[in-house]
Amino acid sequence: MKSDALRGHLDGLLLATLDGGRLHGYAIIEALQRRSGGALDLPTGTVYPALRRLETAGLVASEWSTVGGRQRRTYRLTQAGRRALAAERTAWREFTTAIEGVLGGGPWPAQA
Amino acid sequence: MAGTGLIDDYVTALDRRLRGPEHVKDDLLAEARDSLHDAAAAHRDDGLAEDAAQRRAVAEFGPVTEIAREYQGLLGLAHGTRTLRAVMLVIPLVHIMWELNRRFWIGAWNDFDAPPPDWYLLVARLNDTSAWVVAGVAVLALLVGRRLARTAVSTVTLARLAGVVAVGAVAVTASGNVAILAATAYLDAARLLMSPPVAAATVVSFVVVLRLAVLARRCVVFSSV
Repeated sequence: MKSDALRGHLDGLLLATLDGGRLHGYAIIEALQRRSGGALDLPTGTVYPALRRLETAGLVASEWSTVGGRQRRTYRLTQAGRRALAAERTAWREFTTAIEGVLGGGPWPAQA
Repeated sequence: MAGTGLIDDYVTALDRRLRGPEHVKDDLLAEARDSLHDAAAAHRDDGLAEDAAQRRAVAEFGPVTEIAREYQGLLGLAHGTRTLRAVMLVIPLVHIMWELNRRFWIGAWNDFDAPPPDWYLLVARLNDTSAWVVAGVAVLALLVGRRLARTAVSTVTLARLAGVVAVGAVAVTASGNVAILAATAYLDAARLLMSPPVAAATVVSFVVVLRLAVLARRCVVFSSV
């Protein structure tokens, strides 16, 4: 899946990845790839500016901490981030339900 | 270590393209370097040789030109936010300092033998009001920018918006200060020098506005990609 198709969803994907807890940058990238079955193919360098933008927006918080003996910047969801993620999930479910209804090939309503 | 240069070369190339607050830049580059080493380590664990592992990590990170644009947007935004915060706090503070000085050392303008004409009082009132309007606009810009950061608006665009507001805020403040100074000189030039502490406060105000003008100009430079 190419990066252009992901652009509009990157924020939601990053928030969802952090839903499980605090992670450092490369762990977020690994989690994205793992949870997508390896289908996500975006330049990994774009993840960091996106995380920092989400931090500017108050949706994630970050700090340097020691992970595995190395200094790393780790990220976590804020309360505002949790609310934004819930809204993203609701919007995504509504979207997929609507598209599935059409593209999924379900029965058309009976003609009047 | 064989191939260490690949990651270093990439980070150096990224560094060369970026302009902005040094501590933010160092932080971003440290994180990028850390991530590249993590990726290379993962590829080594998958069986690649050191050189190939680093080459793949660099390739996955993305082309320097593309990645630098996004990092530059962050640097511009960080500087823009810092400048707007300075505008929000410093301009009202300097104004209050000048007013307190004037009230203590000179007193009310109306206490003079010939009270100032209406046009002078209007210029003074506009200058007084502009400090608070400018601070209010900076607060609003910070809140709107924070909200827009949650949308698809790019950091480059946000940085440019911050720059426009910062330049406008400093221009309005500088115009107000110059206007009241010129009006006072025209009305009664002796008033400018009647109190050394107030004259000193005026000089301080201009130095502060000059410094803010430098920061505002950098907003424009740092948001150009």
